[in-house]
Amino acid sequence: MSTLLEVEDLTITFRTAHGPVDVVDGLSFTLEQGASLGIVGESGSGKSMTSLAVMGLLPPTASLRGRVSLDGAELTALPESKVRRLRGDRMSMIFQDPLSSLNPYYSVGMQIEEAYRAHRPGVTRRQARKVAVEAMERVHIADAARRVDHYPHQFSGGMRQRVMIAMALSTEPDLLIADEPTTALDVTVQAQILDLLQEVRRETGTALILISHDLAVVSEIAEDVVVMRHGVAVEQAPAERLFSDPQHPYTRALLDAVPRIDDEIGELRGIDSAAGVGGKS
Amino acid sequence: MSTTSTGESTGQSTGQSTGTDAVAPASAPAASTSPGSGPLLRATDLVKEFAVPGTGGLLGRADTFRAVDGVSLEVRARETLALVGESGSGKSTTARIVARLMDATSGEVVFDGEPVTRAKGDRLRRFRSDVQVVFQDPYSSLNPRHTVERIVTAPLVYQGREVPGGTRAFTQQLMERVGLDPDHHRRYPSQFSGGQAQRIGIARALAVSPRLVVCDEAVSALDVSVQAQIINLLRRLQREEGFSYLFIAHDLAVVRQIADRVAVMSQGRIVEQGERDAVFDDPQHEYTRTLLAAVPRIRPEWERARREAAGARAEEETTA
Repeated sequence: MSTLLEVEDLTITFRTAHGPVDVVDGLSFTLEQGASLGIVGESGSGKSMTSLAVMGLLPPTASLRGRVSLDGAELTALPESKVRRLRGDRMSMIFQDPLSSLNPYYSVGMQIEEAYRAHRPGVTRRQARKVAVEAMERVHIADAARRVDHYPHQFSGGMRQRVMIAMALSTEPDLLIADEPTTALDVTVQAQILDLLQEVRRETGTALILISHDLAVVSEIAEDVVVMRHGVAVEQAPAERLFSDPQHPYTRALLDAVPRIDDEIGELRGIDSAAGVGGKS
Repeated sequence: MSTTSTGESTGQSTGQSTGTDAVAPASAPAASTSPGSGPLLRATDLVKEFAVPGTGGLLGRADTFRAVDGVSLEVRARETLALVGESGSGKSTTARIVARLMDATSGEVVFDGEPVTRAKGDRLRRFRSDVQVVFQDPYSSLNPRHTVERIVTAPLVYQGREVPGGTRAFTQQLMERVGLDPDHHRRYPSQFSGGQAQRIGIARALAVSPRLVVCDEAVSALDVSVQAQIINLLRRLQREEGFSYLFIAHDLAVVRQIADRVAVMSQGRIVEQGERDAVFDDPQHEYTRTLLAAVPRIRPEWERARREAAGARAEEETTA
């Protein structure tokens, strides 16, 4: 196994009216080909900014220091045009709300085809359509040949997320970043989408970064886990070690605070310093 | 037009909930605040139909969709009944009907022995101070241009009641009870974090000393560490005040932490209800089983190892 993604000393700074703010501060991790990594944290931890930085999608008010390399190519040193060619091709991303990522005026098939053809200029419409149908079949959308002509509103939330995954996988990327992919979904649908992500990774060898606030979700998917807080990775370890023997007090407190379905916890422990930040935010 | 086709109706208008519900003999907490011996709140055979948009018109009747389809439930004094289900199950609509934020198509709600389904005037006003609601998103349920003081005293003002002890003292005392700094009584909602803003929403509910608090996904939008604090707060307040909760939630793990009894809704119907541990440990309905199985879990062997390590650490600290 060789290294697919290398993030080294990543720092993301936002210019604000109150001066520069580091939302990610000195983050480093590596991801092997075909591996899975979970990034967990509460709101404001910097987990989503990290994924946007990898994709080269940071807003213009953010500046970035450090290095992000994909398969040896240093993304942070490449011009935007080159990064754009890699984005959606070698690396893809899906988000929490599939409806806002889909154009309501075009059939889902058109949108998958368009995304595919953007990276495969020589491809004909007919070939692209075949890819779209196959991609939809791969994510188990029944009757894909017909559903390909349907519009986003004709799909349920879970089905839309499948469409997004189909689109993300159409170019057979090396890396799929899923940012809270199941947070807006019902628990039964969530379980199906998590199964699908696992299956896709197994069958296509696509490496996966799962960004989530939900420790249990991450524990089911990720081989390695990074716990972030206030822009800093407070702990990173293989999943088994992290969940069975957490070292950092914050990781311990976070695990203590998760309500469990299997038993009633006497007094749930909150994290005071995290909650007591208050003030303006 | 269509309603649910799957049978499993517990909603038959027997007025009595079925399922695993033990008939609840004298197990209801003593010193019930109701004068009668009945439950604090009883909803019988609630139905809510919505017109399907784009159907009907001048010539025809609109198709209707049954969001709530024959729901009967009871909330006893000092207990927490959790209503769980996925999106579209009708749980929030049920809560809205119970709190009289929405009228039912048919069915009856009896509060403290009195029918309130069509209550008006003084009766409705009294009901509104007995039943309060805490919503999911504190920011959108708190007026951003009002100070904490104005927000938490609003329920009293609307009811034409005097604020006991004066606005400031009353506000500060409420803020203390929900764990907020009383010095912040003149601040605006945007100056608080999400968890703190939710505490303001809870303080507002407490202002009129309610006997039933309806929590509609009240902890769903919060970070896990903040969520734990709010759950603790809700439990503590119930112990102190002795009110009941109708707790609407989609998160079963949260429900396990707070409920005495659980009703599981699917497609407008209650498919199962019973004592919390009975529902979680021995679910009778297929849907409940599916729901419970779908909840993501940290592997039990990892959990065990972590607890053992934590226990060992605690021991070390005490012996050291």
